[in-house]
Amino acid sequence: MNMEHYPILAIISLFLGAFLVALFGRLNKVLRNLIVAAAVTIPLCLMIALIAPVMIGGQVIGYWMGNWAPVGPWAIGIGLEVDALSLFFGLVVTIAVFVSGLYSFTYMNRDDSLENYYTLFLMLSGSLLGLVLTGDLFNIFVMIEIMTMTAVALTAFRVDYEGALEGALKYMVVGSIGSTSVLVGIAMLYSQLHTLNMAQIAAALPDHQNLVTVGAFAFLFLGFSTKAFLFPFHPLAADAHAVAPASISLMISGVITKCGVYGIIRLAYILYQNINEPAVSILITGFGAVSCFICVTMAFNQHDFKRLLAFHSISQVGYVITAVGLGTALGLSAGLYHAMNHTLFKGLLFLCAGAVQYATGSLDLGRLGGLAKKMPKTCALFLIGAASISGLPPFNGFFSKWMIYQASFEKGLDTGNFFYIVVCVVCLLSSVLTLASFVKVAQSVFFGQLQPQFENTKEVPLTMRIPMWILAVLCILTGVLPWEVLQKLVGPAAAAALNAAGYIQGMLGSGAAAGAGAQAAFSMEIGFWGPVSWLCLLLIVSCAVCLVAVLGTAEQKSPEERHEMDRRAGRTAAFTRDGFADAGRILKPAEKEGHYRNPVLSGTTLTFTGEKDPKYENFFSGEESEYSQVGGGDLFWGFKTNWRHYFQGMRRWHSGVINDYTRYGIVALAFVLLYACLFL
Amino acid sequence: MILVNYAASFFLIALGLYCMAVKKNLIKILIGMGLCDYGTNLLVVSVGFNPGGTAPIFTAGEIHPGMFFVDPVPQALTLTSIVIGACTTAMVLGLIIRIKAKYGTLDSTEIRRLRG
Amino acid sequence: MQILIQLFHILVFPGLLFDVAMGVLLMGLNNKLVARMQNRVGPPILQPWYDFLKCCGKETIIPARAKRAVFLGSPYLGFVLLISVSMFIPFAGFIPVTMGSDLVVILYLLTFVSVCEILGAASSGSPFAGVGLSREMVAMISYELPFVLVILTVARAVGADQPSGAVFSLEGILAYQEMNGPLLFSPAAIPAAIAMLFVIPCETGMHPFDIAEAETEICEGMLAEYSGTPLAMYRLTHMVKVYTMSSLFVAMFLGNRFTGIVPVDILIGILLCIAVMFISAALPHAVCARLKVEQVFHFYWTVVTGFALAGLLLVWAGV
Repeated sequence: MNMEHYPILAIISLFLGAFLVALFGRLNKVLRNLIVAAAVTIPLCLMIALIAPVMIGGQVIGYWMGNWAPVGPWAIGIGLEVDALSLFFGLVVTIAVFVSGLYSFTYMNRDDSLENYYTLFLMLSGSLLGLVLTGDLFNIFVMIEIMTMTAVALTAFRVDYEGALEGALKYMVVGSIGSTSVLVGIAMLYSQLHTLNMAQIAAALPDHQNLVTVGAFAFLFLGFSTKAFLFPFHPLAADAHAVAPASISLMISGVITKCGVYGIIRLAYILYQNINEPAVSILITGFGAVSCFICVTMAFNQHDFKRLLAFHSISQVGYVITAVGLGTALGLSAGLYHAMNHTLFKGLLFLCAGAVQYATGSLDLGRLGGLAKKMPKTCALFLIGAASISGLPPFNGFFSKWMIYQASFEKGLDTGNFFYIVVCVVCLLSSVLTLASFVKVAQSVFFGQLQPQFENTKEVPLTMRIPMWILAVLCILTGVLPWEVLQKLVGPAAAAALNAAGYIQGMLGSGAAAGAGAQAAFSMEIGFWGPVSWLCLLLIVSCAVCLVAVLGTAEQKSPEERHEMDRRAGRTAAFTRDGFADAGRILKPAEKEGHYRNPVLSGTTLTFTGEKDPKYENFFSGEESEYSQVGGGDLFWGFKTNWRHYFQGMRRWHSGVINDYTRYGIVALAFVLLYACLFL
Repeated sequence: MILVNYAASFFLIALGLYCMAVKKNLIKILIGMGLCDYGTNLLVVSVGFNPGGTAPIFTAGEIHPGMFFVDPVPQALTLTSIVIGACTTAMVLGLIIRIKAKYGTLDSTEIRRLRG
Repeated sequence: MQILIQLFHILVFPGLLFDVAMGVLLMGLNNKLVARMQNRVGPPILQPWYDFLKCCGKETIIPARAKRAVFLGSPYLGFVLLISVSMFIPFAGFIPVTMGSDLVVILYLLTFVSVCEILGAASSGSPFAGVGLSREMVAMISYELPFVLVILTVARAVGADQPSGAVFSLEGILAYQEMNGPLLFSPAAIPAAIAMLFVIPCETGMHPFDIAEAETEICEGMLAEYSGTPLAMYRLTHMVKVYTMSSLFVAMFLGNRFTGIVPVDILIGILLCIAVMFISAALPHAVCARLKVEQVFHFYWTVVTGFALAGLLLVWAGV
């Protein structure tokens, strides 16, 4: 089959799957799951098949629906256009869809009317894929609307879940500002250029800059940033993510936000090609940096696992937008890399949250605790995700964040604008705050004390862990092999975004790209970081340390011997603390069941009576080990007291009232419009 | 003439946004969303308007030189947009009915369990 | 042969063994100097080492609530990570591994070391450890901002005449200092150096800033449940961290090759590390009482950040 049919087949298989599930899903559970599995697997395979020609071969696949080929320079029909940038996001979408679908099979099995769930889920997936693959501006609007509608319906899918309806309503109402802006922007562009094909718009726009197109830019930018939940739309994301089922949270945070990012990249890099204008760059970077910082601090106030993750999600999208706004090759690559990484690690974290919810029925950070003993595998997965999002080497978050710092700092130095230095510092600081916040999550969910009511918690089934492992392995792979990822995936995508001429030619044939900028020189110079050699180094040192440790223990006398020496010296074992401890060692069988109190020394034999020695349960509680109310209280007390005014203001600001959020949206719209009219 | 359309669409969108930002009743907020939609639709369809143009329907024999059409594309867009708007309205109404049943109120200031 | 030399660099000098020896030396000297300043005799210089050995000989008690693997594994992981960080920092012109010594990488790896400690503390299930780790987090937030600013300042100061505008690689920084003399002598870098001197004690958890381990308030905090060899590993990590930070300061602000004669350079390097330790750790230790949690945060985000920001602005302005 010809390669050019792949994109449309990928989209169709998802939509077709949705209709088939709606038709037959009610009849048979197995049939329904088979349809869903097929519908989520086929697009993934098709996208992977496209990597070779598009990413490596540099081909641009154009496809005219119904074979309505352009007449002269005029694109009549609706076209799909897959360049490396589209394919990059297409891959991100299909991976997330695949994982989410796989996870849903077990995770959702306690809910009813699942055929509705899968119908909506597949429609959502299809619209997302359509959004990134299409070459038509109005198609983007339609896909955005389908996406919003299905996402809202899925957010409210668990109708009885606390806040589900409210979160969905806010998402819909405030999100409609974004949809309206996109449509207004499209209408304004159409009035000037009389076409909806993005390639044609890109070819014509540089010669047609006037107040209307500038206004259209403002509207479209605001519309896409609503869909990416950028500041000041982030409260929506928090509400919607927190109440949606975890598999849908993955979609909202991992993919829907990415579609907003995709829109902004297409808008600024391909359509307007004005990313190198300082005003545009500062606008986008500024929005990104503010989202990044405000959301990460908002996460400190949260008590709901998924709500906290939601704020982090927007914070990470803020990173992406910051990097995208820089407009340099390095910045764009950093943004794309981080976008992909964010989908992977945030998906993993949401799935972990879903697993916790599945196992315990709770997401309250204040009530959970000590689950590491009950769910060790989920805990390990969570730690991988947390390390990735905090940017600890060698996980993937580190490399992309590092590129972002480098890119923003260099941009600052190149342009001599201190703004970018501030952005760089804000990004670095947000990274620390992210880490701090995830320490809190780890402490209050997986470590700390186990609450009595979760005594019977069980590990989630393997079918839920497999999707999580897929994401975890991808997190590690993209972190350990950053240069390969950069070369094969991110680099071509960034090059495609910087090459508007290539995009236009791919759709309309050569010669159409007269007005567009020539291909930008694409080079990257980043610092040194070889995760693989670092891991080797780590291995060598650990071997050495282990060797020393083993040799050291071999030379030590065994506790029995030491006790024997003590005895010979006439010391009683219970006399000193070590003696006591050593005495505990002697009773091997007792050690297995824990240690016992009341050592009695009669002659030379040491016997223990009484119940378990609480000393071995908790070092400092001299009494019987019981649940302690000392929970460390607020984990960030010292930090928050100094910032109390800020946090109080933030709490007042995130009031939860729809009208307030709408007002913020309108203010943002007005601001962006004014900014665009004044500076562009 | 066409300026009136633009002004009206701007006015409708502004009115809709005002409703969404100020009115506390969820139904009124929904009406605001609707107004925004209508304003946008009006804008889109006005964009394709050519003064003096005829309907873009080819009928053999009726075409003569010097005749021109209004742009058909925005009309198609408007139709799509209207359909989407109807879906949105239905969706929000569905949510509002459920919210009324659960919260017992339509006052947006009382529907704020998710905050902070 | 090449591999053997590499292994020697990694494991003996300036790698593992040397790090440990320097850590013990610095910590012992610190104790001694503080004692002398307070008119005490002080412990012998090798006392930290004796403590370490003693700890190793003790029984390891694992609390019933603890997650065993994490509880036991994180001290070792932390130590190994720290050793790997120290490999990135050149000492007397020696770099154990040449694959990369980027300042941002070092910043993150140092964070990772603290995270290991936090992870171990969290897994112990003790409420005291919980309080301790929250304080450690606050300390981390406190010193990270000035640290970042210092790094940017140094990168800019060194890379001002480079095409990329900034040099983050420590090798590049050393090469610059070899040509233009120590960075500390240029007036613009002085505020940054002062900020860095304040970052060191907080990063290493030395006395006036040891809010995370405040033994009188929260029973050693993060280490509350630890005993035996893991505790010894923590102590050792702590000592090596002091050395790592001091040598990082030396590499960033003073340079490495002073005379070109290797033994002399090593000696000067050691002396400089001791001097940095004395100024940044021993002096505040002897002079100040332990700060409160919010005081640490406040101090670092106002005074120290102020210094660092002043440094960055000076360098930015091209002084």
